[in-house]
Amino acid sequence: MDEQTSILKNQLYAACEDACRDNPERFFSQEDLMALDVVPPKDVKKLLQIIQILTRERLFAPVHFHSGLAWRLRPEAEAAKYKHLTSEDQVLVYEIIDAAGAEGAWQQDIKKRLNLQDNALRKALKELETKRFIQQFTTVENMSKKMWIKFGMQPSARATGGPWYTDQYLDEAFIDTLQAVVVRIIKDRGSYRSTGERGARSVSPVLPKKGIIRGGQSEAAMKSKKRAADAISKDDVSRPTAPAFKARGTVRLPLPAGYTGYPTAEEITAEIVSMHIAKGQPLKTEHVQELLDILIWENRIEEVKTGDRVGYRAVRVSKQHPDMVKLDSEDFWEPRINGLTTVPCGKCPVFELCEEGGPVWAGGCEYFDKWLL
Amino acid sequence: MLVLYGQLPSRIFADLLTRGRSTVAQLAQHTSLNQRQVRHGIAVLIQLNLIFHFTDQDSGITYYDANPHAAYNLVRTGKILDMVREKYGSDAYTLVNEVLIQGHTKISDLIAAFKKVRIAEPHTVNGVSQNGHHHSNGNGVSNGTSDIKVRDEDVDTEDQAYDSLSQLIAAGILEPLTLAMYQSPQDLRSTIEQDFLANHYPTGIRGAKQTAEFDKYVREKLREFHLENTKLKNDLEFELENGAGSKRRKLTNGDTANTLTNDRVKSILLENRDTVLRVNYDKCVVELRNLKLERYVEDLIGDTTAKVYATLLDVLSRKISRCQVDRLIEVEDENDDASTGPRVTAQEIFEHLNPSIDVSVGLGMLHEDGAIDIRHAEKIRRFPPQLKGSTLKETLQEGEEIVESDDEDYDPSGEAAANFGLYGQNGSDEIKMQADDSVPIGTKRLHQMRQHLLILAESKEGFLRHCGSRDFGEWTVDFEPLMQHLKFLELDTLIENRFGRRGLRLTRILREKGKIDDKTLPSLALMKKPDVHVKMAEMEMAGFLDVQEVPRDNNRAAARTIFFWFFDLERTLQRTLDNTYKSMVRCLQRLDVERRKKASVLSVAERKDVQGMEEEKLRGDIYNEYVQFLDLEKKLLGQIGKLDDIVAVFRDF
Repeated sequence: MDEQTSILKNQLYAACEDACRDNPERFFSQEDLMALDVVPPKDVKKLLQIIQILTRERLFAPVHFHSGLAWRLRPEAEAAKYKHLTSEDQVLVYEIIDAAGAEGAWQQDIKKRLNLQDNALRKALKELETKRFIQQFTTVENMSKKMWIKFGMQPSARATGGPWYTDQYLDEAFIDTLQAVVVRIIKDRGSYRSTGERGARSVSPVLPKKGIIRGGQSEAAMKSKKRAADAISKDDVSRPTAPAFKARGTVRLPLPAGYTGYPTAEEITAEIVSMHIAKGQPLKTEHVQELLDILIWENRIEEVKTGDRVGYRAVRVSKQHPDMVKLDSEDFWEPRINGLTTVPCGKCPVFELCEEGGPVWAGGCEYFDKWLL
Repeated sequence: MLVLYGQLPSRIFADLLTRGRSTVAQLAQHTSLNQRQVRHGIAVLIQLNLIFHFTDQDSGITYYDANPHAAYNLVRTGKILDMVREKYGSDAYTLVNEVLIQGHTKISDLIAAFKKVRIAEPHTVNGVSQNGHHHSNGNGVSNGTSDIKVRDEDVDTEDQAYDSLSQLIAAGILEPLTLAMYQSPQDLRSTIEQDFLANHYPTGIRGAKQTAEFDKYVREKLREFHLENTKLKNDLEFELENGAGSKRRKLTNGDTANTLTNDRVKSILLENRDTVLRVNYDKCVVELRNLKLERYVEDLIGDTTAKVYATLLDVLSRKISRCQVDRLIEVEDENDDASTGPRVTAQEIFEHLNPSIDVSVGLGMLHEDGAIDIRHAEKIRRFPPQLKGSTLKETLQEGEEIVESDDEDYDPSGEAAANFGLYGQNGSDEIKMQADDSVPIGTKRLHQMRQHLLILAESKEGFLRHCGSRDFGEWTVDFEPLMQHLKFLELDTLIENRFGRRGLRLTRILREKGKIDDKTLPSLALMKKPDVHVKMAEMEMAGFLDVQEVPRDNNRAAARTIFFWFFDLERTLQRTLDNTYKSMVRCLQRLDVERRKKASVLSVAERKDVQGMEEEKLRGDIYNEYVQFLDLEKKLLGQIGKLDDIVAVFRDF
C-alpha cells in the first residue's frame, strides 16, 4: 500500500463519517462513494483498491442493497474488536450477529448460513460470549428461540414487543387500563355532559312564546303520545330505562353533526403522554392506534371521518356513565341486551341436545326454573 | 301454536307442514280423521288465512298447502294490536282485533261487530284482556281495553267505525281480500305462466327475446293482481288527503273535524260493504319496523333524536307498503335509479312533528367557534351505499368513496341555521339568546329538528341519508344496508354477552380481515396466545367460528399445519335465526308445562262466573297462585315478543 492510497483511504473514511453523521445506518453505493469527491473521478480501479483495504480493516461492511452491492460504515472502535477475534469461525459468527443489529440473529440461522458444525458454532459463540462481545436474549415472538445480539445492545421493539410487554410477557393489566383511559379521553372530548336543569333554564325564555311545550313539561307530553316503542315491551324486565333516565338528570349527549373536535389518534397519544401514565414506556401513535382498533372491534368507540381527519367518538353516548367512574367499571349504565341474551336458551350449554321428550327439555329445564323464579 | 284455534285445525295444519301440499283425502288418511272433519278444519284454516288452496282446472282436485309465514305472524298479534292502538286510536284497535279474531270479515259485518263491542263495553271492561290471555300470542302485553274512554251515548258509534276503518284501509293496515291471496305465490305464478303459454306460444318459447317477453308479461300480470286490491285504498286515501282536516289532526283529536269528507268516505265504504277485509301483515311489519328502528336510535343516539326519527319514518312509510322488495314482481335493475326511492323533505317532517317533542334538547352544545364543519355535516349523498361483501368496514368504505366523488355537494340550508347560532344547541349564552329572539320560533324549531336529522345522517349505522336540498333537505332511509348493520349489532350483542368483550374482539377481527392463522391473531388482538386459543375453542364449540387446516407437507402433522380461523357470517346469521326460533318454541313449551301444572287453578279461574272478577270469587291461596301464574305467563310471553324482535330484524325487516 503506497502513501497516496493510505491517505486517500483515510480521507474517504472521514468523508463517509461526515456524510452519515445524521444517519448512522446509511449505506454507500459505488456512486455515493464517487460523489464524495475523494477518489479522482473515473478512477474506478483506485476506488476498488481502497474499498478492498477498508473492508479488510473492517471499517467497511459490505451489504446487499436492492440496487446491488453497497457498504455500511463501521466505527473504528467496532472494527478494533475484530482484531481480538482469534479464529475464523468467531469472525464469521460475529459478522452475522453484527449485521443483524438490534433484531438479533437466531442461532439456527447462523448455523444454516455458515454451514458450521454444531460443536464449532457453539464453541465460537461461547468464546464470543466470554469475551463480552455478544449476549443472548429472548424474543416475544418465539420464546424458545436462541437469539444472539451484540453485547450491550437493546433488542428491537419487535423483539421486546414494544410497550405492551413487560419482561417478555404481555402486560394485559397495562393494556386494559390504557384502553379504559383512551375510552375516557374519547368520551370526554366527544360528547356533552348535560346536567339537566341547565338546558331547561336556558331554553325556557324562548319557547313558551309560541306555546311549545318546554323541557320540563315534555315528559308528560311524551307519555301522551310517543310511548309507542316502549309500549310493546311494557311488561319486560328491561323497562327501567325511562325512570332511570329521568332519575339520573345528568346525561351524556351526542354532539351535533359535523363536529370537528373528535380526538384523533395523535391527539389521544399526546394526551396520554402528558398524563404520564405510561412511565418508562415510550408510547407512540401507532401503539395508540392498535388500542383504538381493538376498541372499535369491541364496539366501544367508532370512527368519524371529517374530510381527512379521522376522529373517534364513543358509541351509545346517552347510555354511557355521565360522570367519571372507576376505570375498570363497565362502559354503559345499561348493558346491551336482546331477546337471546335474556332467555336462558341464549347461553344454554346443552341447547343442541334440548328437545321435547328428551333428557333435556324446556319443561324440566333448571335454567328456566332459576330464571322464572 | 295453533292449538288456540282448537285441536282439529292444529292437527291438520301440522300434517300439512310436515307433508307438504295434500288433498282432503290424503289429509284424512294421515290424520286418521274422516273427510267431513277434515273439511271442517280446513274451513277454519281458510277463514284464518293460514292455508293456501289451489284447484287444478283439469282434474278438479283441490290441493291445500300450509302458509307458515301466516302462522308465524300470529306471534305478532299482540304487537300489531298495540301498534294500531298507539297510532290509530282505540276504535281502530277494536276493528283490527275483530278482523284478527275472524281471520277475514266483510265490511258490513265488521261494522256490526264493532257496534256490538261498543254496546257491550261498559259491562265487561276486561273482555279483551281475557281474550289476550287465551291466545298465546304475546297478547298479554296489550292487556285490556280498559283505557278506552266510554263515550257519550249520543255519538254515533257507526260514524266512528267508518272513520277509523277508512283510515286503516287508507294506511294499508287492512286490505281487501282477493281470490289470488288464497293461492300460494308459486301457484299463482304458474297459473299465469300456463295461461300465457297456452294463448300465445302453444309450441313453447324459443330464444332470449321470447323469454324476456314472457317474463315481462308474467311480472305485469302479477303486478296487476297486486294493484287490483289497492283501488279502495287509493280512493280512501284521496278523500282523506283532500279533506280539509289533515289525517293527523283527526287522529290526535279523536273526533271528526270534517263531516263532509266523512260522509264521502262513508259512502265509499257503503258502496263496498260486501268487500272482505283482512289484516295486511306486510304493512304491519313496516310499522313495526319503524317502532324497532326508533328504539335502536333511542339506544344508540338519544331520546329526542329517536322521536324525530319516528316522525320521519312515519311520514316516509306512507310511501312504503312492504319491507322487502317482492322479487317476483320487481326486477332489480328496473329499480336501479336511486332517485326513485321514497324520500321526505324536512318541511314535511316538520309539519308532522308532534308539538310536544322538545327538539331543542338531546344534543350537546359547543362553546368554541368553528368546531362544526357545516359542509361536512350537510353533505348530500345522492346514492345509497353499496352493500358489498360481508364486513362492516367494506360497506363503510364503499359508501365513503361515493361521498368523495361528489364532494362539493352540500345542503346550504344549514348555513342559515349557523347564523342563528343554532349549533350551540342548548342556547349557550345570554348574547346568543338575545339574537335568537329576532328569529321566528317556527324557523328555529325547524332548524333544531334538522340538527337531529343531521346527526342521524352522520351515524355509522346510516339511519338516514341526506339525499337532496329541496325544502330544507330531502331525506331517505336505505333500509337494506341499515338492517344489515342492525343484524350485525344484534349478533355482536349476543357474542359479547356470551363470550365477553374479548370474544367479540376476536370475531370482529376475523370478520374484518378474513381468515387469520393461529399466530397472527394474538398479536392483532393484543392477547396472550393461550387465552386466544381457549376463547377460540370455546366459540368454535358453540358454532360461531370455524377452523381450516392447511397442512404444509404430506404428513399432516399438527406441528406442520397452519390453522386458519374464520367467521362465516351468512351461516352464523342463519344459525342465530334458527336458534331464536328454537328458543321461542322452548318458551312456549315451558308455558304449556306451567299451564298443566296449574291446571286446577286455571280451570277454576276460567269458569264463567269467576271470569273478570277473579279477585272476589277465588279463595285467597288459589288467587295468589293464579296471580303467580299470570306473572310467569307474562314473563314468558314477553320473552317470546323479544325473541320475535330478533326474528324480525334477521328475517322480515
